[in-house]
Amino acid sequence: MSALLEIDHVSRSFGGLRAVNDVSFTVGEGEIVSIIGPNGAGKTTLFNVISGLFPPSSGDVRFCGKSLVGMPTHRIAQSGIGRTYQVVRPFIRLSVIDNVAVGALAHAPNYRTARKVAAEILDMVEIGHLAETPASSLTLTQRKRVEIARALATRPKLLLLDEVMAGLNPTEVDRMCGFILGLREHGIAAVGSIEHLMRFVMKISDRIIVLDFGRKIAEGTPKEIASHPDVIAAYFGSPLET
Amino acid sequence: MTQRTLGITILALLFLGAVAIPFTGNGYILSLFYTSALFTGLAYGWNIISGYAGYLSFGQITFFGIGAYIVAIGTTRFHAPWYLCALVAGVFCAALAVPMGWLMLRLKGPFFALGMLGLAQSLRISTDLIPWTGGADGIYLPPGSNGVQVYYWTLAVLILAIVLTATIDRNAFGLRLRALREDERAAGTLGVDTTTTKVKAFILSAIIPALLGGGYAWYLTYVEPSSIYSTEIELQTVAMAILGGMGTLWGPFVGGILMSQISQALSTKFPQTHLMIFGALVVALLLALPRGIVPTVVDKLQGKRKPPEPEPAPLAQTEVVT
Repeated sequence: MSALLEIDHVSRSFGGLRAVNDVSFTVGEGEIVSIIGPNGAGKTTLFNVISGLFPPSSGDVRFCGKSLVGMPTHRIAQSGIGRTYQVVRPFIRLSVIDNVAVGALAHAPNYRTARKVAAEILDMVEIGHLAETPASSLTLTQRKRVEIARALATRPKLLLLDEVMAGLNPTEVDRMCGFILGLREHGIAAVGSIEHLMRFVMKISDRIIVLDFGRKIAEGTPKEIASHPDVIAAYFGSPLET
Repeated sequence: MTQRTLGITILALLFLGAVAIPFTGNGYILSLFYTSALFTGLAYGWNIISGYAGYLSFGQITFFGIGAYIVAIGTTRFHAPWYLCALVAGVFCAALAVPMGWLMLRLKGPFFALGMLGLAQSLRISTDLIPWTGGADGIYLPPGSNGVQVYYWTLAVLILAIVLTATIDRNAFGLRLRALREDERAAGTLGVDTTTTKVKAFILSAIIPALLGGGYAWYLTYVEPSSIYSTEIELQTVAMAILGGMGTLWGPFVGGILMSQISQALSTKFPQTHLMIFGALVVALLLALPRGIVPTVVDKLQGKRKPPEPEPAPLAQTEVVT
């Protein structure tokens, strides 16, 4: 598998706080990678650096071999990185289909085509019937779907899913799992950040990266991670010395 | 009759009525309709950057003023026809809007609103101080002012503004504008070039007042800083667009026509206190219709036809951030 995304010794500081500290990893085409770690581990910061909301303090991010550092946000999106936000932020005064059409405009030549593309994607995420509803009157689950549909509409090669499971009930989590696994069939790689729900992470990830206080403390297959002593320490604390 | 043909019929009648106004030969009626067309046009201009793109501006009068002064200076010093000068003003303001927008649109929310207000004020004061603009004394335009010409010019600009807005309302550019109004960051990560998009909107919102200001100078036959870079005109324009419905195709039309007629009736009846009454009326209307006339009416009409949504607006903020 050739590397689609390369995170190369990336650090990001806010004042004295090193939110992301010398993190490196790669994501291959069509791969599903989960970034896990407790609250404040630097997951969202890392996503913000990748999608260009702010530059890394040091290090490099490469996508398809090209550096993304200094590239404007919209160019990064157009080059094939879609993302969703932890706190979903639909365009609330726009209809659901227009929300998704905004993403489709990254490639569609005009509004009409963009809406056509959007309608197809809405059917794919099973909210086609809500197309003309204003996004303000959706439930959280529906909003999450709009968020994903919007990102998919930009035709990403890589989808960054920030805490996509947060706030979903177990049934919804299962459906979301099925959906993320379905991305692979479309050749879309996914990097998801997740705090809890190890069951889900173990089930769908090709690879897991563990962050703690901004540092990468482990990387491996779900099996390797489950028995990794540093991970166990980060999540459950060090074993008591007796 | 379908809704569409009804709408087109009404617009055609309004258009014919507007074109016929000068044939009444009544100067007062002409001035009433000129003022309505002028303010409605200004409201349309403002609506693109502030209604669709969500960048509330209190300084679009800057371009109106520059337009008026280009016509004043062009006709007095260069003896050029006024409409040619007004066209030059449109082009000039379009060009000026590029660096100005690029700079000012980095400011967000109240900072942009205040920044634009400051810009308009500083231009007014500069005009006071620079001799070749006539300074505080102003400039008398050469004789030959023609109210009918200016009226048709203003009507043409208004129609242009409506057609432009109707296009934006249904195209990709307009969707990008509405997206960045709702959430600029999310729009960016969906591939919207937010800077370019909003600068383009700013350019359109500069051309329209520039063209209208050009006509205004020729209509008044006299320009001086405080009546041209007029806070009163600016605020009335903003009030009209907001009352009619920001970011809608027909909001500026309804707000502009209605409020300019009311404002003129008030200023004839109560020459001393009309601004106070107008202000109170604006406040009352905003309390009654906080989203503006057009969105409220549209909702009422659609509410009667559509059944209510099965799942109404729950929890945006109740998401558990685990």
